[in-house]
Amino acid sequence: MMRLFLEATIKIAILIGGLMTAAAYLVLLERRVAAWVQDRRGPNRVGIPLTKISLFGLGQPLADGLKFIFKEEYTPAHVDRWLYTLAPLSILAAALATFAVIPFGSVIPPIGEGGPIPLVVAPGVDVGMVYVFALSSMAVYGVILGGWASNNKYSFLGGLRSSAQLIAYEIPLSLGILGVVLASGSLRLDTIIDQQAATGVWNILVQPLGFVVFMIAAFAESARLPFDLPEAEQELIGGYHTEYSGMRLLLYLIAEFLHMVTAAFLIAILFLGGWHLWGLTGSGDEITLFTAVLRIVVLTVKVLATIFFMMMVRWSWPRFRFDQLMSLAWKVMLPLGLVNLVAMAFVVEYRQWFAGTGTWAAVALGWVVLIGSSVGMALLAPLSSDNRPRSASEGAARQQIFS
Amino acid sequence: MESVWLPIFLFAATASLLSVTMVVISYLVGPQRQGAVKEMPYESGMDPIHDARRRFDVRFHLVAIAFLVFDVELLFLYPWAVASQNPAGLEAAVSEGLVSGRGLIFAEVLVFIALLAGGFAYAWRKGVFEWR
Repeated sequence: MMRLFLEATIKIAILIGGLMTAAAYLVLLERRVAAWVQDRRGPNRVGIPLTKISLFGLGQPLADGLKFIFKEEYTPAHVDRWLYTLAPLSILAAALATFAVIPFGSVIPPIGEGGPIPLVVAPGVDVGMVYVFALSSMAVYGVILGGWASNNKYSFLGGLRSSAQLIAYEIPLSLGILGVVLASGSLRLDTIIDQQAATGVWNILVQPLGFVVFMIAAFAESARLPFDLPEAEQELIGGYHTEYSGMRLLLYLIAEFLHMVTAAFLIAILFLGGWHLWGLTGSGDEITLFTAVLRIVVLTVKVLATIFFMMMVRWSWPRFRFDQLMSLAWKVMLPLGLVNLVAMAFVVEYRQWFAGTGTWAAVALGWVVLIGSSVGMALLAPLSSDNRPRSASEGAARQQIFS
Repeated sequence: MESVWLPIFLFAATASLLSVTMVVISYLVGPQRQGAVKEMPYESGMDPIHDARRRFDVRFHLVAIAFLVFDVELLFLYPWAVASQNPAGLEAAVSEGLVSGRGLIFAEVLVFIALLAGGFAYAWRKGVFEWR
């Protein structure tokens, strides 16, 4: 009991420290990437205080954090005071607590008595994926509470939009996860990685369609740019956090970056094989310290590459319109997710056909499903940018409105 | 049982404590100044003309209902997804004679997904997913 408590405390300290630092430095990274894409310099002056040494702007997050602490903690008169404070607290606490079941490495060799120590705060939670799902859905509460409590029209509209977006994209998200759960037969994230490491076949190879659906839904859930309708600055000022300032705004911003980190971890673990890399990390629990560190490095590199990809997408794509966002969720992602689920169900049901060299048949089937459904969707669905009336009666109705 | 969930409670408590502490520290350290204009809702410099909590579009309600329907239906698929490959799941049930065979379960799941797709097509025809 004592040992469990000690282990958990150490892991929690490492994880929270790492996550808060990561959130701070991801802001800097994002600004540097933005500057790089747009051919500017970005923040590069702040370095070690009281000297003239500028370490590529590495002091910027510390300076920002200090500035946020010394800002006024202001509550406007027209808001619901309790909910106004509760909303950012709940969104940050939930965003942090999601990481309780997400492994940040494989295992490390035993210290003292006992077996290898798994690198996850709560090992042995059998419903890991459901827990992640439940806590990431808490983001909806933070957003809609903040939007409602602010008693401001921009906040209110932003909160409504945001909650509609988050719940609409939760369905494709859960369809994508369902395919992975089918393939590995477990909801535990470490078992999902172990299964991919043992077979050497990452889930992205067998179900590329599921990967695409899950990734797009994860972008929307973390409100990254092609889907950042909740705070579309040109339309809604700041969306649901228009009325926030000081530390409570910072809590929202940290939570936003933590959602991005969660999404990157989930993409890396569910589809990109977690800590596994062919011919390098091996599989199984009996490992040396060197291999343990190697696995942590591989997972970290995968997560960082995913985050970098998300940043590049942010600076490459314009924002969706709200009706495009909704029709993408319901009319494209949901049917594609169902197609992927049915295909995976067949692969799992007849897995004696797909064993051994038959794995290549499963992989081929996955890619055929991806390409076929994309082509089918492109042929069936009209272009979302096409705003022309679909029928004569609709055209007449619009004429009446505009004349 | 408790030992599995203890780290999670510990983690959740630490996370809540951390966020509360951050706000409290900032509250103690930062300045406090009031003002009539500062207390107004921010609406791009215009004086707000009425309360923000008014009636809103019924389409948000439709999205919520559609979400409930499909999300709950998907939740029913999770137990099957876990059990279908697990040696302690469907395999054990078949070998102990609790179910007559894998084929029956698979057919039932396919019927369930077909019903889900039918409901989806109905909602689409009814225009639930049209946002205009």
